[in-house]
Amino acid sequence: MSQPLVFFPTTVAEAVEVLDRYGGEAKVVAGGTAVSLMLQHRLIQPAALVSLQRVDGLREVGRTEEGTAVRLGALVTHAEAARHPFLRSAAPLVADAFAVVGNPQVRAAATVGGVLTEADYASDPPAALRAIDAVVIAQGPAGARIIPVYDLLLGFYETALADNEIVSSVVVPLLPEGAGSAYLKYSSRSSEDRPCVGVAAVVRQAPDGSCAEVRVVLGAIAAVPVRVPELEAAAVGRPLDPAGLGDAYAEAVDPLEDVRGSAWYRREMVRVWVARAVTAARHRCTGGPQPPPAG
Amino acid sequence: MTALHEVPAEGGGGDVKVPDADGRVPVVLLVNGAPHRVHVRTTEVLLDVLREDLKLVGARNGCGVGMCGACTILRDGRAVSSCLTLAVLCEGADLRTIEGLRGGGGEGGEGGEGGGLSRVQRAFLEHRAFQCSYCTSGFILALEALLAVDSHPTEAAVREAFSGHLCRCGSYSRIMAAARQAAGLPSRGGLARGAVTGGVTGCAPDEEPGR
Repeated sequence: MSQPLVFFPTTVAEAVEVLDRYGGEAKVVAGGTAVSLMLQHRLIQPAALVSLQRVDGLREVGRTEEGTAVRLGALVTHAEAARHPFLRSAAPLVADAFAVVGNPQVRAAATVGGVLTEADYASDPPAALRAIDAVVIAQGPAGARIIPVYDLLLGFYETALADNEIVSSVVVPLLPEGAGSAYLKYSSRSSEDRPCVGVAAVVRQAPDGSCAEVRVVLGAIAAVPVRVPELEAAAVGRPLDPAGLGDAYAEAVDPLEDVRGSAWYRREMVRVWVARAVTAARHRCTGGPQPPPAG
Repeated sequence: MTALHEVPAEGGGGDVKVPDADGRVPVVLLVNGAPHRVHVRTTEVLLDVLREDLKLVGARNGCGVGMCGACTILRDGRAVSSCLTLAVLCEGADLRTIEGLRGGGGEGGEGGEGGGLSRVQRAFLEHRAFQCSYCTSGFILALEALLAVDSHPTEAAVREAFSGHLCRCGSYSRIMAAARQAAGLPSRGGLARGAVTGGVTGCAPDEEPGR
C-alpha cells in the first residue's frame, strides 16, 4: 500500500488549495488522535494528508467582535478549551464536555475542530455545542460560510463539509443571562471510554420559578446529537420537573445499540441522566429566578 | 491513486513530504535534546519510531488506542500518547522520553543532585511503586508534566494527571505514595515517606484503590 504524501500549508488558503486539488482523496489532520487510529486500522487510505499544524491563527480563543460569542480556533486543544476561564464562565457546559473526553493525553492533542469534523457519534463536545447552538466557520475555495453544528453533523462520521472545505473556528454563543447549564457524561465501561450516554442541558427560570427555557441534547445514542423541540416547548411555563423530563425523553428517543449498552439500557440511562443534567443545570442558574427577557 | 501521487509538489500548499519507493520520508526528530534523522512511513506513529528506529523502549506499547498511558511521552512539555501521534508531524517538537529525564538540570526533574534520576524517578524507586513496571514510565512522565506547570499540585491534580494511566498490577497505592513524596504532599498512613525504603516492607495498609 502506498503511503500518503504529507502537506504542511501555512495558510488556510493553501490548505484549501491542496484539498481542492485532491478532490476528496486528501485527509485533513489536526491533533491527529483520530486520524492516526483510522490510518493504523486502514479505515482510511488517503492519497495525501494535509497537516494544519503550521497554519497561523487557528489557536486563538477570544470573544467575537460583537461580544456575544466565544470564538475557538480549530486547533485549540480539548485541554485548552476545558480550562479557558472565559469559556468556563460564558458556556460552562461546553468547557465541561471538553474536560471529560478521553484522558489527559488525548485532551492535550485532540482539537476543537477535529472532534466536530470527525463526527463520531460517541463524542462529548458535539452534544454540548448543539445545545448552545454553536456554529462553525468553514473555509473553501469560494470563501467562508457559517454552518450551525446542527447542520454540520449529518450521520456516522459524515459532515456537511465539502471535500475542499476546512473548519477554521467554532463560534460558541454566550449562555443567556441567568441561565444554568451542564454536560454530564455517563460511561458504562472505563473512565477514559467514549460516552454511553451524554446529556447537555440548559435551563432558565422565570421570576415565579417556573421554567422559562429548557434545552436538552442527547449524545452517543444516535448517529447525531438528539434534540426534541416538542418536549422543550412543553416544559416551558410549568414548574421544572427533572424526573418528569427524564421519563419524557426516555419515551421519546430511539437509542442505538453498541458495545457500551443495549437500546433498552440506553433508554433507561437517558431517563436517569436527563434528570441529573437538568438538575445540575438548574443548580447553576445565577441570581435566582430571572426577570423575563426584554422584548 | 497512482495518478494522484504524481501531482507535482510544486504549485502551492506549503512544504510537502513525498514518500520514496519504500513509502518513507526523511524526518528530523528532536528527542531528549538531540536531533535524530529518521526515515518514516507517513502513517507511522511516533511510538514505533522511538522503539524500532531510535531503540528508546521506555515508551511501551500497551493498548495501542490511547487509553492505557503506557506509551506516554512529553511533547513540548505536555504528556501525550505516542501511539496516537504521527511521527511525520513531530518535526520541530521537543520530544522527551523517560530516557531523557535527568537528576539535576533536567527539564522535568528539578532539584535532584546527581544520581542520574529525577526526583520523581527516585520517589518511584524508594516506594517501589510498581510490580512489572510496564506502566511506570507513563506514570512518571505524567507527573513530570504536571510538576513542570504546577510545582505544588493538589492530590486531586495528581490523580487527574494519572487518570489516563492504567497499572494492571494494581500498584496504585504505592504509586500515589511516591507521587505524594515527589509532589511535596503529606504522606498517608502506613505508607509514610521512607517507610518502604531499604528492606522488606511487610504489608503496608492499602489505601483506596485507583480509579
